[in-house]
Amino acid sequence: MTTEIKHQWFYNQSPEEVWEYLTNAELLAKWLMDNDFKPVDGHEFQFRTKPMTNFGFDGIIYCKVLEIVPQEKLSYTWKGGPGDGTMTLDTVVSWTLHKKDNGTELHLLHTGFKEQNAMIFSIMDNGWLSNMKEIADFLNA
Amino acid sequence: MAQPTLDVFQVVADPSRRQMLNLLTKDSMTINALAENFDMSRPAVSKHIKILYTAGFISIQDIGRERYCILRQDGFKELQQWIDHFDKFWLTKLKSLETILNNKVK
Repeated sequence: MTTEIKHQWFYNQSPEEVWEYLTNAELLAKWLMDNDFKPVDGHEFQFRTKPMTNFGFDGIIYCKVLEIVPQEKLSYTWKGGPGDGTMTLDTVVSWTLHKKDNGTELHLLHTGFKEQNAMIFSIMDNGWLSNMKEIADFLNA
Repeated sequence: MAQPTLDVFQVVADPSRRQMLNLLTKDSMTINALAENFDMSRPAVSKHIKILYTAGFISIQDIGRERYCILRQDGFKELQQWIDHFDKFWLTKLKSLETILNNKVK
């Protein structure tokens, strides 16, 4: 069973510009989700999306900044649950930026999936996917 | 598979069934032991177990006089596909970021 997700993506912009979109709450909301992120070590924040009570997800992703190295690395916890305080999903998202001649290589590592939360989480994801499609359509319009 | 396949989505959408699977990730259990964890009638428990069984999440073995529920991989393989979808969540997001970065006013 997969317990981590890895992706990398190349952007034509400088690490400074990409970093802004990872750490400025308003810019972050444009491509990810509404949030109250602050680029401060230990800062606790949330991403908000549609709740899916049937699937044990209250629509809030609870996060805490674990590591922040300006323009190089950012990691935070990524937790979720039904809203009663239990976290059925308890994972970590890490971003690393690599400066290239003509842009930035962004690496994403999403770790900590366990079998029992994988099922709840992966189901929740299906709802997100449809959200994402709406957002993508909105962006492309 | 000869049996009509159940929608995995529906199977684990139910909190009781998710809890049953959670309990079974720790160890195999008899139907009676499983039922003790739930405030519902025995036929209701049996119905959930049947659904989990039909969907390939668990197998049932007779050991001595007891019927044991044992976690199976099949259901989880399908769930793996859902994880793969989450994979796509990030891909979609990363692509969105690219679109936004490329279109932003300099």
